[in-house]
Amino acid sequence: MSGRLAAAAVQNRLAEADRAGLNATLAWSAAALAAEADRVDALPEPGLLQNLPVAVKDNIVTTGLPTTCGSRILEGYRSPFNATVIDRLRAAGAMIACKTNLDEFAMGSSTEHSAFGRVLHPMDPTRVPGGSSGGSAALVAAGVVPVALGSETGGSVRQPASFCGVIGVKPTYGRVSRYGLVAFGSSLDCVSVFARTVADAGRVLGVIAGPDSRDATTLAASPIVVAHAGVSLAGTTIGVPREYFPGDLDPGVRAACDAALLRMRELGAAIVEVSLPHSSLAVPAYYILAPAEAAANLARFDGARYGVRAPVAGDLRELYRATRGSGFGPEVRRRILVGTYVLSAGYYDAYYARAQTARRRIAGDFAAAFASGVDLLFTPTTPTTAFRAGEKTGDPVAMYLADVFVCPASLAGLPAMSLPIGRSEGLPVGGQLIAPSLAEAKMLSLAAVLEGALDPTAEVRR
Amino acid sequence: MSVSREEVERMAALAQLAVAPDELPELTAQMDRIVGFVARLRALDDLSGEGPQPTGPPETLLRDDVVTPADLARSPAELAPEFIDGFFVVPKLGAMEEP
Repeated sequence: MSGRLAAAAVQNRLAEADRAGLNATLAWSAAALAAEADRVDALPEPGLLQNLPVAVKDNIVTTGLPTTCGSRILEGYRSPFNATVIDRLRAAGAMIACKTNLDEFAMGSSTEHSAFGRVLHPMDPTRVPGGSSGGSAALVAAGVVPVALGSETGGSVRQPASFCGVIGVKPTYGRVSRYGLVAFGSSLDCVSVFARTVADAGRVLGVIAGPDSRDATTLAASPIVVAHAGVSLAGTTIGVPREYFPGDLDPGVRAACDAALLRMRELGAAIVEVSLPHSSLAVPAYYILAPAEAAANLARFDGARYGVRAPVAGDLRELYRATRGSGFGPEVRRRILVGTYVLSAGYYDAYYARAQTARRRIAGDFAAAFASGVDLLFTPTTPTTAFRAGEKTGDPVAMYLADVFVCPASLAGLPAMSLPIGRSEGLPVGGQLIAPSLAEAKMLSLAAVLEGALDPTAEVRR
Repeated sequence: MSVSREEVERMAALAQLAVAPDELPELTAQMDRIVGFVARLRALDDLSGEGPQPTGPPETLLRDDVVTPADLARSPAELAPEFIDGFFVVPKLGAMEEP
């Protein structure tokens, strides 16, 4: 297939998704797709991702399409450069298909905080697709694109992947360059991948990973090489952390996880219970550290150099206040205020210093579990299936707790992924694998075995 | 734990964020809810002997300190709300009052 044919096919699917009101895209155009097609058709050699259309979360900068971060403050903004991940995808023959809807500046778990309206869940429009990378997840789930880029700060790819029934892979912090990913929580942010198959996720991750002189936190690690999926898990030890199976876990989610663990045991894996005793501190620690970093990172949006400027008659300070006050939405403003609060004089030790300690202990829990002989951890990705739109918007903390199982690996900087393991009352359930640092290949190999052994569309038996 | 309206106003001033007076009651209640939730970390009494969790590589990758072309697809003049003769134009800074 030529790039032109692939571009025409994805153009039809994007148009159909927009007509259906999915609201998953923020920008795409036939002209931009045609230009991408001509470019890949002119490559001297076919790349590893030749003709692959990739949807890109709208907090990853692209020169060909606008980048808004789902915010009014960047409405119409066009980056003067591409993110490193975009350059690498394009060099490998992939086509940038569209920019996808998200919670404003990636702050949210449902896309309901997007300034451009929420994304519909592809299987039930009354429900949310998860967030913040909900647009990317929905487009992959709806079959519009085979793969998409998202970003994770505290689970923003695994959680929507779970809700939408697709694969979502967060690499080790530092595996993939953050150059051109609009900064939210710089010690946590990771460009991450959605796909319909484990093989596609591995291929895309392999292309975008690697050191980058423009991101000093990238790791000089060996490439990710995923072993050919076998059918046996003999010799593999799976740890099941008891803290991730609380008494109030959704019965359908629990049943799907139990069935997946049984299947892993049948395939030869040893299943052992482990404890990660500081898990309950992860969400509170995250909601100190991430807002603190966000308060600093978002200081750059001030109406002076780019983006939208509020009309003011006053001085420079008034320009800043008015632009930021009107340009940022409610959740972003809350997080900036919380971040400013926990960093302010008198509160730093009570909040920020404690959160740093909690983060260290959470990472220590994971290290101890892996040192005990566990190869990978298996947990539910989310406590429930996709929740209804509006269900959590009145209570920010209830929304934050949707990320209770995905936050800890983010704080520890570990690779983790969600894969669909069944359905409960018709909605996808995600199982989460968490791996030691830089063990993406081991994680993806096990996921590939599970992919062949589980039916993700089967209703779970309670 | 309770966050006061005055504290929210002070944080908004520090963060250079305009907040309308009629938004303050709800914003104060939400801030109070969030700060009350994260205060669960007070259960961590022993903070001794532990620094922050290291992130990123053990050694920072440094690139050569040389000037290279930025190769921008569009110029600052195209991005800026107002740009004249190579300068970003902003209103004058008023008196250096405390925020």
